[in-house]
Parts: sequence; structure tokens; C-alpha cells
Amino acid sequence: MIKLFIDGAAVEVPEGTTVFKAAEQAGIALPHFCFHPAFAPEGTCRLCLVQIEGSPKLELSCSTVIREGMKVVTQSPAVGEARRGVLEFLLAEHPLDCPICDKAGECKLQDYSRDYGLTESAFREFKEKRDKKVAIGEKLLLDRERCIQCTRCVRFLAEVTKTHELGVFERGVRTEIGILDGVPVQNGYSGNLVDLCPVGAITDTDFRFKTRPWFLSRAESVCPHCGRGCNIYVDYHPGLPRVPGSAKVFRIRPRTNEAVNGPWICDVGRYGYVRAQNAGRSDRPFWNKDGAKTELGWDTAMAILGDKLRALVDAGRADRVAVAATSWLTNEELFLVKKIFRDDFGSGRIVLCDPRPGEGDDFLRRPDRTPNARGARELGFDPAPPALEALARGTEVLILFGPHIAEHFRPAELRAALDGIAVKVLVTPHLTGLEGLMDGVLASATPAEKDGSFTNFEGRVQPFAAAARPCPDVRSELEILAALAGSLGLRPDYYGRLTTAAAVRRELAKEIPFFGARA
Amino acid sequence: MSAAFSPELIGKIEALAGRYPVKAASLLPVLHLVQSERGHVSAEDERAVAGLLGMPPVKVREVMTFYTMFRRIPVGRYHIQVCTNLSCALAGGDSLAAHLETKLGVKLGGTTADGKFTLTGVECLGACETAPCLMINFDYYGNLDAARIDDLLGSLT
Repeated sequence: MIKLFIDGAAVEVPEGTTVFKAAEQAGIALPHFCFHPAFAPEGTCRLCLVQIEGSPKLELSCSTVIREGMKVVTQSPAVGEARRGVLEFLLAEHPLDCPICDKAGECKLQDYSRDYGLTESAFREFKEKRDKKVAIGEKLLLDRERCIQCTRCVRFLAEVTKTHELGVFERGVRTEIGILDGVPVQNGYSGNLVDLCPVGAITDTDFRFKTRPWFLSRAESVCPHCGRGCNIYVDYHPGLPRVPGSAKVFRIRPRTNEAVNGPWICDVGRYGYVRAQNAGRSDRPFWNKDGAKTELGWDTAMAILGDKLRALVDAGRADRVAVAATSWLTNEELFLVKKIFRDDFGSGRIVLCDPRPGEGDDFLRRPDRTPNARGARELGFDPAPPALEALARGTEVLILFGPHIAEHFRPAELRAALDGIAVKVLVTPHLTGLEGLMDGVLASATPAEKDGSFTNFEGRVQPFAAAARPCPDVRSELEILAALAGSLGLRPDYYGRLTTAAAVRRELAKEIPFFGARA
Repeated sequence: MSAAFSPELIGKIEALAGRYPVKAASLLPVLHLVQSERGHVSAEDERAVAGLLGMPPVKVREVMTFYTMFRRIPVGRYHIQVCTNLSCALAGGDSLAAHLETKLGVKLGGTTADGKFTLTGVECLGACETAPCLMINFDYYGNLDAARIDDLLGSLT
């Protein structure tokens, strides 16, 4: 360990640490544009300058390595003057279009200008005119007037994706970031450039001009689009009381977790998830009656299903219920499915029906298209798609979680098999066409809307809490299952306790060693 | 479209690359070599160089555009670079440039229709003691006036 002094306070850090990181450890945040913890220091923005005793000039804290007894000053008139100078130069060429800039409110240049740059500009000339919307990727627009040339985007594509789509061309006042001969940024991780950009130079066409960042609430969640379980933020508008539909998810951003996803997420999770929250939702329960769709309140819908199940139990044919669960369900929900239908109903037709695997890559993306395949396996579910014949024969009540069964069987095949089943209920957050074959549809919550946990492919159990509720009239599968257990009067001393995800998780840990070891 | 690199050129590039601890370090001399052999470095040539030196093509473009003396578009057989900077301007360099424009029938930056001459205005050539001056390909000519330029152009075949 090496001891140095930062603003008079002694700090001990391992050899090889930079002044920037030592200061961070001492609780001092130094301003910076080009530095990013995922990359090697670049030293181009000159904003992290500090005073080091014995050095004739200010030094870059991001690339200067500490020495024994070093005395660093991070706040002084000379440092302040240097930062003001850097910011004045940047603003001399930066458009003041903050009122229409998507980054406004979370822009580093705005923040640092307020913190260090309050000064009158000596620049009286016209600003350079540059391209304001250069398409550099499917959803990426580059504004060359706003760009401060920190090169974070270029280094991300060079060091993380290693796809090298962007470069720094020309020099001096003509310096610009650009793609090579029209080949766009396209590597499955392009959305990260928007988060990386410290100013509003790279914007996302999905988010551009849709809302202002300060209207959004931020909630922590886990991405459900593959088995990696990337940690994410769900940025959502909580809604305006008199504007129906104003509660909405606007964007998904990575939440740094070095053990799972680092500071990145893939484009499938980023863009797919926003769509999954807002589009094609089944937003309230309904029953198909005589070919017509009848919307029902939750009480009625649950009562109908409860009555059908009770009739089976009373007739001694409780094992005639079949359930197709999905790895989109949380560990807690899958546990309840298993307890209620396998243990209490005694049904042998409790299967898993997942979407077909897709393609993974050698970075974050996994081939499975569900968040909890590992959790389902640990809970004893067989990942192979079910045999339709075995699922349907003799079944009187079928409960499907998720619409994925339609991916595995042709419509005619499915219709023929399901026709003989008296009661068919689909529990789903999305309507994909399968609902026409069903008697009833219960509108369920997406992962961002519920409490629970997913087990990622490495066996990491990641709990999360409900982030947003864009559809007010949906219920989580856990709420549906707990309500069913309650209304059927199943073991009240047991199920009576299991009405929240946290309570089910505790029970799960008690009963299944895999989860016990990870509680 | 330009033709692929000849085996001789590839041999020379590999020899240059071999002189450096990492191949990418030879980029500048390699680009000079390619330009002197082919007159300019096309986008296709950039990709070929990137491939030979094991580096992403975008890095080659960065270097190509950073330095002003690499040419990305073809030039005429004779590339005339006339100085328009201070010392030459004081000695009549701008009227020299104007004379060349009239004589060749192209503006600064242009190439004659027969592909013989390209005329470029450049900043200081570092030969102020012979102002006004210009370069034709790799050769310097100084202490010029309109008559000497006419002789010079006449001597080029």
C-alpha cells in the first residue's frame, strides 16, 4: 500500500493506482469527460487536472500514477482556472440548444459548467456550423456540433465490441467523429454509445424528443430477455392523473454489476424491453363466451377459474388439471405452480413451455430467450418442449402461462388438441393471437411490474422489485396463484403466508437447497 | 476501383512492417510508399494496407485524414503544389497561383481534363529563401515568375 495526501487527508491505495482513483476512494469526485472506468485513461479532455506538489504544471489525475508521499490538491485557484479554461473552450464550439437536447438534465457539460465554468466567454465569433443529425446506426444520430470529442464512443467500439465502426477523422477545428464509408454501427450493443456520451452528441431515435429526463423516475430491475440477467434501470414516467396512458416506460439503461453485465446491456434488452412494456399488452382479464370477448373484473375472472378448479377437486379429479409454465415466471411463481398443482392437486401434467432458443454471442447475450431457465431447472422443470398429446389427453382444465406454446405447434394441431379441454385459461402479459383458442385470458404483469427473482444461467439468484405499472389492471402470476390457493382453501396455514415474493423466497430457500445456499 | 497490390508492392510493405516492433507502427511509411507507387491511396488501398498491417480500416482512415499530404483522390501525372503562405505571397505568390490557374484552365485543387496536371495551393513549403516557390511532384522550384513558369510547364511532357 502506498500512502499519499489528497487535499491534506492521508489516503492509502495499492501501488499502480491513478490519482483519479485514489481521489475517488477518498470520496472526492473529479470532473471528467473522456475518462471511463471501463477503458484505459485517454487524457484528452483535460478536465481532471490537479495540482501535485513538485510538478511545475497541473497534472492529469486520470493517467498519473500515485507515488509514496505525493501531495495532491484537487481544489485551488490554479485548478479552478484550468477547469474554467477547458469549459470555456468547449462551450465556444458547443451549441446552446439545451432546451431541445435529450441529454439536458443529465449532461456532464451542463453540470460541470455550473460547478466550475461560471464565466463570461471571451469568444465573440460565430460558432462553426456542423452536421446536426448524422445517422451512424439504426437508432443512433450523431450531432457534430454537440460533440466534445472525448472519444468514449470510439474507444467502446475499439475496446469492448472490437468492431471499430467509428473513428476520429481530420484534425484541428475540422476534427470529427464518423463512420467509415457509410458502414453503420451495428453490433448488438450500439445503444451503449448513448449512455456513454457525456453530452447530447449521440442520441437514440427511440428516445429522441419523446420526454425530458427529469420527468422520469428510475427503478432498478433485471432484464428478462435472456439468461444473463443484466442489471438494468427502468426509466418510466409515473403518469399524470388526468392523462390516461401517460404512465409509460421510456427507456432501459444498464445498471453496473461487474459480476453480471459490467456497465453494458445489449440492444435486444434495451429496445425489446421498452416495446414489451408498452406494446401488445393484455391489459385486463376477459372471457371468450359464445365467440364474443367479454371483459371481466378480476374478481369475476378469478371466481370462474376458482369454481372450475373446485369442481374438479370436489369430483376427485384434481389430477385432471394441466399447467404449462414458462421460464418467464420468477423463481417464486414457478415454486407456487409446482406446490399448488403438482403437490396439492397431484397433477402429473405440470410442464414447462418456453420460447425456442435463439442465438447468443460471445459477450453478454445468451441463446435462451427467457430470464429464468436455470431457476426452472433447479425447481425440477424439464426444459424440453412438452408433448401436446400428453398435455391434453384427459385434461379438463388447462392453464397456460405465456403464449409460447404457439411457437411449437401448428395452429390446426393446437386447435385439435385443445378442443377437447373444457376450460382453457391463458395467463399472459402479451396478446399474440393464441387468445382466440382460449376460454379465458388473465392479464399478467411483465417482470418490470412485479416483485420476484430470476436465476441467471450461472446460478445467480437476482431479486428485483416492481419498477413501474404502465397497465394498472394487470396482476402478477404470484398474485394470481396466491389468490387461487386462497379461494380454493388449500392448506391455509401454509399458503396463507405465501402471498408476497419475499415470503415465497424464504420458503423456497427453506425447501430447496439450491436456493437456500443463495438466499 | 484500383487494381490489387502487386506482389512487389506487398513485398515492400511487408519489409517495411518488419522493421518495427509492431506492424501497425509502419503505417506512415507504408502509406507514403503506396502513395508514391499509385499516385494516391484509395479507400480500397486503405483496406488492403489495414489487412496487411493487421489493423482496423478505420484507423488507416484516421491517419489518412489527419495528415494533409496523403491524397485520397487521384492526381495528375504532375502534381503542382504552389505556396500561398506569407513569404511567397509577399513575393507575388498569389499572382503566380492565379497565372497557373489561367494557364492550366483549372482552379486550385483541380486536375486538367487530360489528367496531366493537378494544381494545389499549399501552406509554407519551407523554402522561403527562394520565394515565390512551388513543388512539382518531389522537386522544388524557386525564384519564379510567370515567364519561368511557362518555361517549366513547357518542359514537362
